[in-house]
Amino acid sequence: MAEPAYTVASDGETTGEEKSSSAFPEIAIGIDIGTSQCSVAAWNGSQVELLKNTRNQKMMRSYVTFKDDAPSGGVSNQHTHELEMLSGASIFNMKRLIGRVDTDPVVHASKSLPFLVQTLDIGVRPFIAALVNNVWRSTTPEEVLAIFLVELRAMAEIALKRPIRNVVLTIPVSFSRFQVTRIERACAMAGLHVLRLMPEPTAVALLYAQQQQQTIHENMGSGYEKIALIFNMGAGYSDVAVSATAGGVSQIKALAGSAIGGEDMLQNMMRHLLPDSEIIFSNHGINEIKSMGLLRVATQDAIHKLSFETSVQIDVDLGNGLKICKVVNQEEFQEVNREVFEKCESLIIQCLRDAKIEPDDVTDIIAVGGCSFIPKIKNLIMTTCKRQELYKGINPMEAAVCGAALEGAVASGINDPFGSLDLLTIQVTPLAIGIQADGNNFVPIIPRNTTMPARRELAFTTVHDNQTEALIVVYEGEGKKVEENHLLGYFKLVGIPPAPKGVPDINVCMDIDASDVLRVLAGVVVPGSQQPAIPVMEVRMPTVDDGHGWCAEALHRTFGSRLNLVTVQKKMQQ
Amino acid sequence: MSRRKFWTPLYATLRRNLPSKHPYFPASSVFKFPSPTYSFSPPSPSSSPSSPFPSSYDFYSLQNLKFPVRSFCFSTGSEEQSSARCWSCGAVAIAAPFLVCETCRSVQPVDHSVDYFHIFGLEKKYDIEVQNLEGKYKDWQKKLHPDLVHSKSERERGYAAEQSARVIDAYHTLSKPLLRAIYILRLEGVDVDEEETLTDPELLSEILEIREAVEEAADPLALNEIKSQMNEELNHWSNSFATAFRCRKFEEAVNSIRRMTYYERVTEEIVKKL
Ligand SMILES: [Zn+2]
Repeated sequence: MAEPAYTVASDGETTGEEKSSSAFPEIAIGIDIGTSQCSVAAWNGSQVELLKNTRNQKMMRSYVTFKDDAPSGGVSNQHTHELEMLSGASIFNMKRLIGRVDTDPVVHASKSLPFLVQTLDIGVRPFIAALVNNVWRSTTPEEVLAIFLVELRAMAEIALKRPIRNVVLTIPVSFSRFQVTRIERACAMAGLHVLRLMPEPTAVALLYAQQQQQTIHENMGSGYEKIALIFNMGAGYSDVAVSATAGGVSQIKALAGSAIGGEDMLQNMMRHLLPDSEIIFSNHGINEIKSMGLLRVATQDAIHKLSFETSVQIDVDLGNGLKICKVVNQEEFQEVNREVFEKCESLIIQCLRDAKIEPDDVTDIIAVGGCSFIPKIKNLIMTTCKRQELYKGINPMEAAVCGAALEGAVASGINDPFGSLDLLTIQVTPLAIGIQADGNNFVPIIPRNTTMPARRELAFTTVHDNQTEALIVVYEGEGKKVEENHLLGYFKLVGIPPAPKGVPDINVCMDIDASDVLRVLAGVVVPGSQQPAIPVMEVRMPTVDDGHGWCAEALHRTFGSRLNLVTVQKKMQQ
Repeated sequence: MSRRKFWTPLYATLRRNLPSKHPYFPASSVFKFPSPTYSFSPPSPSSSPSSPFPSSYDFYSLQNLKFPVRSFCFSTGSEEQSSARCWSCGAVAIAAPFLVCETCRSVQPVDHSVDYFHIFGLEKKYDIEVQNLEGKYKDWQKKLHPDLVHSKSERERGYAAEQSARVIDAYHTLSKPLLRAIYILRLEGVDVDEEETLTDPELLSEILEIREAVEEAADPLALNEIKSQMNEELNHWSNSFATAFRCRKFEEAVNSIRRMTYYERVTEEIVKKL
């Protein structure tokens, strides 16, 4: 057998942070892996440039097709027709699936994709498979992403004529730290080292900061502060950021995000056109996959046309006696996706509120991502921000990757004589991090939108007399109840000196350092003593693996409320 | 009486044991900081609620306010500054505060004798122009932020992380009236006990009344009304604090802080409900 064309390094947990010792710093490239499309950009010495593949494309579809021989992805390969991608042999939407368990609604929504997404609904990773010669060949989102990244890397190496190792990747705001580890793992498998991960809208904010900086240079004006609201909506995710920019420094004021995007609109429309499509296609037989593909392509076209026209005629023969012949207008499209639009609106409102910024104080409204072309999306952004127009100086499809490439150059220590890289983004935590306490409540210790690096500490105490053990269960997210959040890990404190309930002080400290590494520390102090009663526990998070949904259930079943904690404030109120 | 007095902040016990970067870097590399002002000795008994290793991360978290009393043994005068030398190139500090070397641009180790007002080039007084803080904050971050010294030595990256975090805290503390009030009072050696049991029956009943009103508020309109009421109160007590502090009537100043703390908490509750 021939050497496989794609070598994926071992599926190890660590990325191996070795320092390159060469005199010339390697300039990290920027990669924007979209749910649907992907692009790569790099600093060329004077500006950021998008890299092209051999077919001269800057935007490449994010998918990998499995075949008898080596798999191939959207960088090297090109389907003659969209339908080929929908034959069941190609896996796409990796970004929606990565790091999610089979109880996640986003995974459930992916069951209507042509490839196989199977769930057992017990909180483990879903089963994902591609159809190769009538055989369902299993894979994982990490593996698919890694194969895709290997292609991207090869493409960048050809374009830049140098080996590539360091990358800056953009990620959705709503990604949990667990999902981030999956992305890092895929990169490691592809031989890439993640120098930095940037929430997508903050990459756009960086590009905006550079543009403002240059305008100031040209006009010799004073660098007064500019507030930008960035709304980014692609196929898989919606993100909002508010940034305050002056002198090339953008302080992120607030972030908000959700796993809602063009894919949801597409599925809502498919359901609208063929109400029992999910049941019809649930078997994933060859014919059903074909029908599914036809419906998907027809719906995609219709949505695209509705960006320019008020109504569109859909005429498609799905085979098996299924025909759709229907006129769909703008109003119908908006009604079908009302929840999506409402969610977008609420994200913008939440982000402005968290940033403590009034719409009137926003200098520029920037809309980027594939969905920013949809008229209803543009309208809702302008209405929510009380504005007549959007910022025009940024290419909506290239903004995130350009920002990532700028960050790549800055983080690699590159200096530009003209000051184009005189930039800095000060990031905030996109999600709150806390522990389970006061029953099954999520008690944040580091709130969302805290400037990083950050360290916070909160006091808890026992709920039972002579409770000698306590379970520290760490979650990340925005829900009030723990089950609405992402589990990051857990550990047990043992040896708490016996005392009446409420007496021991259990301090939990969370620390996010300059490299964005999260550590959780827990210690016990008995009143009257200066020293910790037992050695302090220090745990680097996340510690969970793929079965984390199942894990939380098991913890609850095994321990119940025996090892619970309450916040000290709560106790004092009682 | 506050139970909080009894515990030493967790980070204090661990501050320097914590590898700032990676768990597999030897801890000793973190211990090497030859900072002249850094002290690793345990706190004196009189300063029990304070930390021997003043981390500046948590000043803006109200219930966690801790304070490095130790750092006030130093005067903040520039006489000491002038003798400071860059750890990297040995150049004598020109400007104060000396956070970055003017000659080689190396980030300097944290000097806790430099207070937050000093960092922002401000006179140590309560009434400050908050709008001017952000610009200075960004100027500092451009010189100090760990992202910008990524390719430098482990040692300097450590300094950058500490300095940058301290500037973030300074910015947060100075830009929020309540935190600024508590901070400036502590610079005078007056500690405010956050968890102190309320004894003023007048304030107690007022607080209960407001709490009830918040509970019963039916719509955002009603909540917003209470919120603007709270804002007025905050402004009023902020002014009272300013006056009291100026006249060095610290007891009155503490009383104003107590008031502000409660109105701030109500505001937080309202924001949560909105
Ligand atoms: Zn120097």
